[in-house]
Amino acid sequence: MSNQEIKPIDTEKIKEMLNHQKGKMKRYLSFCSHCSLCAESCFLYRAHNKDPQYMPSYKIIQSLGKLYKKRGDVDRRFLIEIKGIVWRNCVLCGRCYCPIGIHVPSMIAFTRSICRSQDVYPQPDEVSSESWL
Amino acid sequence: MYDLIEGQLVSIAFIIFVLGLLYQGNQFFKLTRKKEWILPPLCGDMMPHRVPVVEKRVLIKTVVQYIIAGLASLKGTLWKTDPLMMIVTSVFHVCLILLPIFLLGHNILLDQSWGVSLWSLPEFFTDGLTIAVLICVAFFLMRRLFLARVRAITSFYDYFVLLIAVGPFLTGFLAYHQWFDYRIVMILHILAGELMLITIPFTKLGHMLFFFLYRFLIGSEYSFTRGSRTW
Repeated sequence: MSNQEIKPIDTEKIKEMLNHQKGKMKRYLSFCSHCSLCAESCFLYRAHNKDPQYMPSYKIIQSLGKLYKKRGDVDRRFLIEIKGIVWRNCVLCGRCYCPIGIHVPSMIAFTRSICRSQDVYPQPDEVSSESWL
Repeated sequence: MYDLIEGQLVSIAFIIFVLGLLYQGNQFFKLTRKKEWILPPLCGDMMPHRVPVVEKRVLIKTVVQYIIAGLASLKGTLWKTDPLMMIVTSVFHVCLILLPIFLLGHNILLDQSWGVSLWSLPEFFTDGLTIAVLICVAFFLMRRLFLARVRAITSFYDYFVLLIAVGPFLTGFLAYHQWFDYRIVMILHILAGELMLITIPFTKLGHMLFFFLYRFLIGSEYSFTRGSRTW
């Protein structure tokens, strides 16, 4: 077991971070129409045979969206789950297009910062069947 | 009950609608600060080269030129990736705005209540536009059910909001053609309209306001203008 999995989660810190950006992030999440028009603009979506898991909207809904839904009351296992979404499924290239103007990269970056605040980040020695690229 | 629904509830719905939009707009301006961002809009080659600080009238003229150029050429738009969706959503949103405002029935009620009204479109035309809206909603529903990428991010909330959006148009169509019990259908039509007005500021239907705020005021690669605001 790596050091990441032993250290306890500071949910108060997560809540503070979520609260600090609540105005912007919750509005972005709320006004997302779930139209999936952002899908085709993502290189990773197109490179992975149009797998919906790589859609920008899917990424933010399943990571930051869930964090706000749970109001920051999460455990380490949850953060490790979304780690894959925000690091493996996105390279923050900024190409994602949203007809409403939601800025997805900033949301992914914010989720990464929440993960990092709890010492959750991709480990170079992690065994995974998928490449980090 | 009909008087309550047609009278006080309509006023309450409009008040909530207006106050809700004002609140959301106010929050947006409080949370975003003005900043001098010079970012190229989509058709960067259409923009004249300017010094960083742009006068307002020059900016307005440039924005108008940009919009005209953008409409004239669909380069860099959804026309390339999803043309059918682009057509359907454009038709849907145009009809969504035109119908309630220029419908003869609504203008007659306005005239009876307040003595003023807008000019109205012919009834056969508005009937056709309503059918167009219903077809567009059916397209959206099919997309949500059968396209994997849309289904992946769809939940009960999305179907519910779609129902809220189509409710006034479906019930209005039924009422106009006097299918089923007219009185009940009219009550449902008014309630559907009130529900839609109340939910616009607080659900994803709020993109009605935020589309313009985000795409015109926030500086980003896809901004329609040199967005000067940032979170």
